[in-house]
Amino acid sequence: MGDDYPTLFRSEQMSLRQFLIPTEVAHDAVAELGELGNVQFKDLNPAVNPFQRSFVGEIRRTEEMARRVRFFESQIQKEKDVVPIRPLYDSSPLVTVGPSAAHNIDELDVTLAEHETRLVQMNDSYKTLSERTRELVEARHVLRETAVFFDKAETQQTDIRTSFDDSSAPLLQHDDREQQYSSAVQFDLEFVAGTIDRTRISTFERVLWRVLRGNLYMNHTDITEPFVDPATGTETRKNVFIIFAHGDALLAKIRKVAESMGATLYPIDANADKRSDSLREVTARLEDLETVLYNTGLNRRSELLRIGENLARWQDVVRKEKAIYETMNLFNYDVRRKTLVAEGWVPIRDLPMIQMALRHATEESGTSVVPIVQELRTNKTPPTFTRTNKFTEGFQTIMDAYGIATYQEVNPGLFAIVTFPFLFAVMFGDIGHGLIIFFAALYMISQEKKWARQELDEILGQFFYGRYIILLMGLFSVYTGLMYNDIFSKSLHIWHSGWDFPEPGSNGASYAVSNGHMYPFGVDPAWHGADNGLVFTNSYKMKMSIVLGVIHMTFALCLQLPNHIKFKRPLDIYANFIPQMIFLQSIFGYLVVCILYKWSIDWSTRDTEPPSLLNMLIAMILSPGKVDATSQLYRGQGFIQVVLLLLAMVCVPWMLCMKPYFQWKERQLIEGQGYVGLGHRNGGPRESTDEVLEGEEEGNGRAIVEEMEEEHEQHDFSEVVIHQIIHTIEFCLGCISHTASYLRLWALIRTIGRVARRGRARARAR
Amino acid sequence: MEGLFFNVNSGFLEGIVRGYKSGTLTQSHYASLTQCETLEDFKTQLSATDYGNFLANEPSPLSTATIADKATQILVDQFNFLRSNSVEPLSKFLDYITYGYMIDNVVLLITGTLHERDTHELLERCHPLGIFDTMPALCVATNVEELYQSVLVETPLAPYFRDCLSAADLDDMNIEIIRNTVYKAYLEDFYNYASTIGSTTAEVMHSILAFEADRRTINITINSFDTELTKEQRAKLFPAIGRLFPAGNNVLAKADDIDQVRQVCENVGEYRSFFDNSASAQSNGDLGDFGVAAQLEDRFFRMEVHLNKLAFLQQFQYGVFYSYVKLKEQEIRNITWIAECIAQDARDRIHDFIPIF
Repeated sequence: MGDDYPTLFRSEQMSLRQFLIPTEVAHDAVAELGELGNVQFKDLNPAVNPFQRSFVGEIRRTEEMARRVRFFESQIQKEKDVVPIRPLYDSSPLVTVGPSAAHNIDELDVTLAEHETRLVQMNDSYKTLSERTRELVEARHVLRETAVFFDKAETQQTDIRTSFDDSSAPLLQHDDREQQYSSAVQFDLEFVAGTIDRTRISTFERVLWRVLRGNLYMNHTDITEPFVDPATGTETRKNVFIIFAHGDALLAKIRKVAESMGATLYPIDANADKRSDSLREVTARLEDLETVLYNTGLNRRSELLRIGENLARWQDVVRKEKAIYETMNLFNYDVRRKTLVAEGWVPIRDLPMIQMALRHATEESGTSVVPIVQELRTNKTPPTFTRTNKFTEGFQTIMDAYGIATYQEVNPGLFAIVTFPFLFAVMFGDIGHGLIIFFAALYMISQEKKWARQELDEILGQFFYGRYIILLMGLFSVYTGLMYNDIFSKSLHIWHSGWDFPEPGSNGASYAVSNGHMYPFGVDPAWHGADNGLVFTNSYKMKMSIVLGVIHMTFALCLQLPNHIKFKRPLDIYANFIPQMIFLQSIFGYLVVCILYKWSIDWSTRDTEPPSLLNMLIAMILSPGKVDATSQLYRGQGFIQVVLLLLAMVCVPWMLCMKPYFQWKERQLIEGQGYVGLGHRNGGPRESTDEVLEGEEEGNGRAIVEEMEEEHEQHDFSEVVIHQIIHTIEFCLGCISHTASYLRLWALIRTIGRVARRGRARARAR
Repeated sequence: MEGLFFNVNSGFLEGIVRGYKSGTLTQSHYASLTQCETLEDFKTQLSATDYGNFLANEPSPLSTATIADKATQILVDQFNFLRSNSVEPLSKFLDYITYGYMIDNVVLLITGTLHERDTHELLERCHPLGIFDTMPALCVATNVEELYQSVLVETPLAPYFRDCLSAADLDDMNIEIIRNTVYKAYLEDFYNYASTIGSTTAEVMHSILAFEADRRTINITINSFDTELTKEQRAKLFPAIGRLFPAGNNVLAKADDIDQVRQVCENVGEYRSFFDNSASAQSNGDLGDFGVAAQLEDRFFRMEVHLNKLAFLQQFQYGVFYSYVKLKEQEIRNITWIAECIAQDARDRIHDFIPIF
């Protein structure tokens, strides 16, 4: 197969290569290969713990770096004003290969650490400062609120006094306070003031009430503005409280409860003058602090700005370094620990490129020892690698979502490029809408270069990823729209219609009269708006969906043929492909033929009624051989249907039994010749020896051992039978359910058309 | 019948908890964890498990306390997720699980206050699953009456504390008595509650709680040898449930040395193994009562893990939630143990953890 050109039809040819890379070049070589991205390395030491591998130290170091970078990122994100992060494509790349690599990485490590310590320091000082500011702000609030409270109390004083004149206990307490106000003598009025989290205020009150058995007077007010925690950015809202109680013991208790509940207490003097003094003092200190805080914040911001400039490339480098060392952990040291041994799958076409890359890496690092690449012979199945470009990528991804073909099997992604947009268009079918999405896709393609570098959000990103799919879908929709003669759910009159509408009759209805010529392309626009238009298009589109569906299925079924031929599996052709084809065609292929035949007959000239094909198909299976004479499609229908049904019935056991039988016979033959499978009779002990072998052998040896195990599994007869049963059931049921699914095409045509029409009707009503 | 409608309200959460359970560390995980040389290795190794990179953002010199904290945090997050997605009666059941932790926290705070520790330090040491808003106020109380009146009366623990209001002053001994009385009340209440929420749950929970009760009974007995605790007082602390109840409890109440405890345990098949080796250990070296107790504790943990594992064999019941929390707790203890052994370079004892799966 001398393919010179990468094809989507089959996946790339791969080969298992062994790389012998001198230790000093290994890092650069892996970096180069990583940039190429077309080697799949095998893990050569799967038995080794992740932390016992060779390059754990380096990985740990990069992880530490990654942690720092993440820290910066989170700091930048938390910052309220947006800190610009210079995108990766804009910043100059950091060189991490070549002779200066180690130096550069060290330097980066140091820079990151420096930035971190500086940032942490700034955060700390910022935090302590803002903590202090917060305390002062709280103190100011407490002072103000208490002042308000005392003022109020003073005005009410006289009233209270008169009202409480005859009761004893509150009066006493009140007297204390009153004395305090009236006399200039310093007297410690018994109260505690402070701030507490608003969510806790009710619990606080409740607990206090219970602890003091109700012997307290508590007052609290909200502080309107929230306090923002500088480190986490969360807002907390607080309340000022002031509690009056009697006796030192109680006050001590209050203080203790308050402290344990996370409240902050402030020493407030009962004297009004002193209060205003301290308020003034607090305000002055607050002003000072705020300037300092502002400056610190500014400094921190400029630091963040500096970090933001480099953040993207640091992230890039750190990620790459980690990936490189993780790859290198897959490698093995040779005996003298001078070279690293790697094994990996490589597309044969890319070998020269890989050689170039390795040579480049060697030159860069300034040594003369070129890594050696040699082929390893193996009969393991290589991984599937389908080369895509920006056009085919989207389609291939859709296919891969269903399942990935085995190595060198026919890749359905190639055909999906046509079938996917086409089936979409069958549903969508509208020139106008098709053009809209076509131009939308065209716009996305024109913005390709710009958008590809940006980070798009999830939804837009998805559309952008599928832009070529959308382009083709739009294009195909225009075509099917022409066929359906639909533009924004209206019809186009391009040519003369094949029908004339005479003047309406007495009941307002008019019957179209054929004028002899035929509409050359698509559906005649006269159908649009005709009373039986919906009936006609429904029946037409439903049948068309079935026809397209069966063609699609038949084609897909045929795709296995090249595989069987290429891998020389004639048995699969006879035991799978042929019975499957017969099964499909004798039921659903026949239905398609009937549909086409029914279309080709002018039923107005026939004496029988046009038969319902759905009922025909059901009757064919439920009551074989009997065809109602009134709904006969053609003569001899009953006989032909019985033959087809029998054919289909025969195919089921054919699929079910033939392949297992032949495989069984083949093995009998081999055993008859005297060959006995080693692992067949005594599987138990054999497996254990395998494990021992696996432990002892390395590299190639393992590959062969694993290979043998796989082979052994394949020969398990019961597995073959079960697999074949599943396959058969899946196929037969699949045929039916898929045909039903294709009817969904038709259902969607109707829905889309109706939505468009209804939307227009509503617009008109407005 | 329970199975019929169980999934309507709790099926999702049961699925979640079973998923969580399948993330518990297995034998092979432990095997590789014990091979770690440093805590950094330990971190790398743990990141390959369901713990993921829960330590990724911790600056480099790791401490075992951080590991334990973070691991507990994971459990707490998971529990809170379950709790906030649950409806009655599961939510009530989950609340019951937290009561145990609440009791521990209350006792911790009281003891701490008694010894005049810093309140904030104490609060940090409380188990996050057992935190309730009025908890900080506990440290003002100086006697049980006050404790009850000021704080506990509005918590779900109130009914449990009602029984021990008589205890006069708070000292170490009384606190211990309070703890055990309260725990006894809690276990009995939980036991009764479990009976009300379906037979399968009851079956599973009863076996676990019965063991828990027996364990406490045995522990109380062993710990009360040679103390001021009178035998009548001791008898009052025993939960009135469990497989040793009532006959075993009566004997234990009068027991004077560990041999009598052993004889009581002989009567229950599953408990027979608790004292198996201790006899030989005692004969070849004088470990004394303390050594036996330590070994016993280990056996208890093993038994607990075993019972909790059994809970997962039954479907359509709430026992899995309880068991998961307990198993995870054990796992965190294991991780912390291994980490501690690595940090202190005590390799010979690194295998003394209790494997779960």
